Amino acid sequence: MRRSVAVELFLLRKRASTWILLGIWTTLATFFSYVLPYVDYRNGEASAGPGVVPLEDLVPHSFAGHLSEGFPFFGGVFALMLGVLALGSEYGWGTLRTLLVQRPGRLRMLGAKLLALGAALVPFVLTVFAVGAVSSYAIARGEGAEIDWPSAWLVLRALAAGWLILAAWAALGVVLGVLSRGTSLAIGVGILYALVVEGLISAFADQVSLLQPLVQFFLRANAYSLVAGVGATTSGATGNGPGAFEGPYVAPEQALLVLVAYIAGFLVLTGFALRRRDVT
Amino acid sequence: MDDSLVIETKDLRKRYGERIVAVDRLTMQVRRGEVYGFLGPNGAGKTTTLRMLLGLIRPTSGSARVLGAPPCRPEGLARIGALIETPAFYPFLSGRDNLRVLAGHSGAPESRIADVLEEVELADRAGDKFGSYSLGMKQRLGVAAALLKDPELLILDEPTNGMDAAGMAEMRTFIRSLGRGRRTVLLSSHLMAEVEQICDRVGVIHGGALVGEGTVDELRGRETLWLRVEPLSGAQRLLADFNGIEDVATVDGGLRVATDPSAAAAINRALVEAGIEVSELRPQRASLEHVFLELTAAGNGEA
Repeated sequence: MRRSVAVELFLLRKRASTWILLGIWTTLATFFSYVLPYVDYRNGEASAGPGVVPLEDLVPHSFAGHLSEGFPFFGGVFALMLGVLALGSEYGWGTLRTLLVQRPGRLRMLGAKLLALGAALVPFVLTVFAVGAVSSYAIARGEGAEIDWPSAWLVLRALAAGWLILAAWAALGVVLGVLSRGTSLAIGVGILYALVVEGLISAFADQVSLLQPLVQFFLRANAYSLVAGVGATTSGATGNGPGAFEGPYVAPEQALLVLVAYIAGFLVLTGFALRRRDVT
Repeated sequence: MDDSLVIETKDLRKRYGERIVAVDRLTMQVRRGEVYGFLGPNGAGKTTTLRMLLGLIRPTSGSARVLGAPPCRPEGLARIGALIETPAFYPFLSGRDNLRVLAGHSGAPESRIADVLEEVELADRAGDKFGSYSLGMKQRLGVAAALLKDPELLILDEPTNGMDAAGMAEMRTFIRSLGRGRRTVLLSSHLMAEVEQICDRVGVIHGGALVGEGTVDELRGRETLWLRVEPLSGAQRLLADFNGIEDVATVDGGLRVATDPSAAAAINRALVEAGIEVSELRPQRASLEHVFLELTAAGNGEA
């Protein structure tokens, strides 16, 4: 199993798409978490009107929570694509049958791929946090603000929360890739789910109370609730963007359990589909 | 399962939906150490059968045992090397790296990679990306992958696809050499010459069913004599009573005589003495192609 995981990591490392997704995610996360808010802050400094991100959100003290706001939706979509590509591409290239006639049982091969995928998400979290930390430091230095880092425990929890959220979305990508036996449809359906199903229903939940209990079990609601527990501001999720979330929030403990349940559910479904279906 | 049998299927059947029967009650046996040719036209059910033997698809009914175990068992797959249809590899990896990935999954030692690349004469291009390979090179990489585990059973599905004439000849010699000794080879092909040159035994599949099985010699039948004579009817009457002749039939404007070819001289003498002109007399044996066409025509209900 160790060698299987090692070669799966090798595969992910050699794939251009992994690096492209990591590059775009890091760039956009930095842009939307620091560059844009900082420009906004500088422009709005004189007026200090509503909607302007306060400087205290952009300095090192808040960086863990502030960065975490980008994971529930934005980071999730990147993880979804990574998950789809990890399994769905094997169907497109026909390499699934090449692997399966080698030796590993289907579930063992899936296990190796999932472990490698889980490990690949770690740099996705760490890189964004590293670049975010540097950005917050640069802003604080530029503004002459106090450079005060959050506790290591909070950073660790934020990293773990970020990884768990990405893992849940990646698991959704994996199951969609296996069910559709490809990448295009899986990515389309995944983004459609993230934007339309969760996005619109969440947006209407304020007006239709019937939807509120449903929204509480969405990936989006639980992911935002989880990062709220590590310092993300609830105001960071509001607005008109595609990842906007106005609530309702749930307790971080419940969010943790729901996300773990999502991951488990997606993976069980993936294993079942992979085991039962013909590989042509 | 008889220990001398490497593959044994019984009434294997694969149906897609209500109308398509890809494999229909296929019963076949492949013996240890032989090169078994699985011959059939495109769409006959060869690849579907091989997929079932490798556990990639589930049979609708019937059973199969490969190396003593049901298909899909990792312990069985560990002793099988296979190339199914067009070789499928990661296009962004080199040939060598592709084999490295497969070795990692199969547990084959990395030292085997250089050996198999050498065996299929791909060592010079092993560092190039798979996506840049010609079809022939892809086939050779597929065979290299199948050999990685030094398998007891090698299943090759149309391994000479896309190769030029020289490449095909080399590959056939190579496959023949792989089948020497303890290794068993199951070769699927629609090319009769390929099967005739390489295989010890042949199974002919048509419409998903096995319509003939035996050695090439058995399938081609006994050698007969073919005569061009004048008058035909007089010769036929004479030979019908000739000692040692089992059957006389009119074929291709001449007579096909089922007898020991060593009787040719005596037959010729008797015909000439009876005033019958003999302009051609030669031993004849049905080609595998002829047998194949007869078998598949029978399968179509044309015989």
